[in-house]
Amino acid sequence: MPVPARPRQRRSVKGARSLPVAFPAALLVTAVGGAVAVVVAPAGARGWVAGTAAVAWGCLAVVVAVTARSLRRARREAASRGGELETARNHWMQRGAELSQLVNATLPGLVRQIKGGARPADALAHASAPSDPHLRQLAEVFVTEVAAAHRRATGAEGELRALREELAQGSAELERLTTQTLPAAVALLREGSSADTVLTRFEWPRSGLLRDPAEWFVRELAYSERRSAAAQAASAKALSRVQAKTVSMLADLRDMQDRHGGEVFGDLLRLDHSTSQLGLMTDRLALLMGGRSSRVWNKPIVVESILRGAVGRIAAYRRVRLHNSSKAALSGFAAEGVMHLLAELMDNAANFSPPIDEVHVYVEERSAGLVVTIEDSGLKMSDAAMRRAEEAVSGKVTDLASLQGTRLGLAVVGRLAVKYGISVNYRPSSRGGTGVVVLLPPQLVAQQREPVVAERSRRDQDSGPAPVAVPEPVAVPEPVAAAAEPLPVRTRTPDADTAPARPVGAAGGRAATPGGLPVRAPGRTMAEAERERQRPDAAPSGTQPAPGPARDAGSRFGAFHRGRHGAASGTEDPRPAPHDE
Amino acid sequence: MIRKPVDVGDPDRLYMVTGGRSEADDSFDLVTLVVSESEPTQGMQSEHVRILELCRHPTAVVEISAELALPVTVVRILLGDLHDMGKVSARHPRAAASVAGLPETALLQEVLHGLRNL
Repeated sequence: MPVPARPRQRRSVKGARSLPVAFPAALLVTAVGGAVAVVVAPAGARGWVAGTAAVAWGCLAVVVAVTARSLRRARREAASRGGELETARNHWMQRGAELSQLVNATLPGLVRQIKGGARPADALAHASAPSDPHLRQLAEVFVTEVAAAHRRATGAEGELRALREELAQGSAELERLTTQTLPAAVALLREGSSADTVLTRFEWPRSGLLRDPAEWFVRELAYSERRSAAAQAASAKALSRVQAKTVSMLADLRDMQDRHGGEVFGDLLRLDHSTSQLGLMTDRLALLMGGRSSRVWNKPIVVESILRGAVGRIAAYRRVRLHNSSKAALSGFAAEGVMHLLAELMDNAANFSPPIDEVHVYVEERSAGLVVTIEDSGLKMSDAAMRRAEEAVSGKVTDLASLQGTRLGLAVVGRLAVKYGISVNYRPSSRGGTGVVVLLPPQLVAQQREPVVAERSRRDQDSGPAPVAVPEPVAVPEPVAAAAEPLPVRTRTPDADTAPARPVGAAGGRAATPGGLPVRAPGRTMAEAERERQRPDAAPSGTQPAPGPARDAGSRFGAFHRGRHGAASGTEDPRPAPHDE
Repeated sequence: MIRKPVDVGDPDRLYMVTGGRSEADDSFDLVTLVVSESEPTQGMQSEHVRILELCRHPTAVVEISAELALPVTVVRILLGDLHDMGKVSARHPRAAASVAGLPETALLQEVLHGLRNL
């Protein structure tokens, strides 16, 4: 029995079309076959065969009819399915095209537009929206999200740029603060400006993070500067009082030494020495505190006095041996400083050598200036110690912060050396200890007066025929005295006081009686009158006639009286001196 | 700070002049006349030089003291040093010499007059 092949029918329309021909052909063939079978069949069985064949054919026809109908129905159904399939395929392809357009063209365009700054709604309106609602929704969501992301990215970028600028500005400000503003501010503060002045003068960073610490720093520094300046000023002030007291004590002691003798005299000398040492200590502190020396000399001081003034201020003055033949004098402005400097160096030398060894001080005059060498025979200084000492006396470090404990002397030496242009050098001494070479530059050395003239004039007079018991006036100047009191000597006219009797006030207002006695002007101390009376005697008298005998007798009497008065308490019982001749 | 006129003095103290000594020997009293025996030499203490120059003619100890503006004790110590070195000699004042050294009568009268006027 033939079975219709449905799949084949589905697959090919041509096969499906051949089927309707096949069914009648099959019916025809089977009808022929039945007829043949009836014919062929024996006659007896012909009826039966004919019946059977008819029934069978009928069945077959029914089956064929049913089959054909169902086949037609299936074919119709297959055709409609194929149409559906085609529609679906078309739909699918259209969707694919839309999707690819969305992905390839629309979305990048939208992204471009949004990046260009368009709003999402505008961008969507301008773009070709896909027909599919899902895709449209997708595009909308996409656009919204992209727009939001773009906004966020733009915001973040701006923020980043702002932060970066702020950072750059901050670092620039910080650099300016550390490299320019703060050093200048510190320098200004060290000069004594107030914190407010400094804060208004400079441009400080705008960021509070930098400005606040900087301001705080400036205020703190100003405060500490003010504090240290106040402490220095207070100590300098207090020390200046001590200095004044010391000086007046020394003057009083000198006065007492003139008035007292004997045992008191020795005690007075000891007190004098202690007071001198006190003066050195006070001056040392005062110089470190920015104060001044206790004394200012208003005249050149000869080197011998400089050296003795220096040695007299140290404790071990008996151990110092001076080797000086220089007649030079130092200018008054520098004398005190040089004395202090030498005293500090001698003190050092004496302190760092055995208490039985001597400290030797040599003075040489060189074209480069006066060279003072202080040599001790103590322990050799180590290289490091010598370097430290050199550094201290070089005066390069003048900060009080570098002071160490009790070693203040060398720092003072450094300051004085810088102030007066003195060079101080350490070297090992040939005596086994340490030597200090001090070079006093020529500008500190006072101009030499001509003591030779005065000396020669007096010698001429001495050799002259004057064998009287009344000797030459005793106030003919020594070289030292000539250097010590130069001005009145040189300005006064030579014959100012040669005449014993002179009108009152003829020479510079100096009054005298016709007999030559001084007259004290009102408001003048006796000492001053006395001093002025002596000055004309100090004038070089090489060209003038010898003073009158009355003048000499007066001065001699006065000198005798003063000396007698001064020694009244010292030698109560002047015993007759042994006759030496 | 008041700069007192003490600064016109000398910076060296008396104990430096005497080398720390305060006791003089008794060789010299106030009126002993001192005569220098030699010229000052190089490197001498300046007070010694002044004394030697001053004492080319016989000079009393008090006069030296007044001229050097030093206390008599100091001058005696210095003279003692010079004496030990043989640079000065000392002698008593002669009475005859002192007569010649008296001031003139006119001056003494003037002094008397001045004293009365005080």
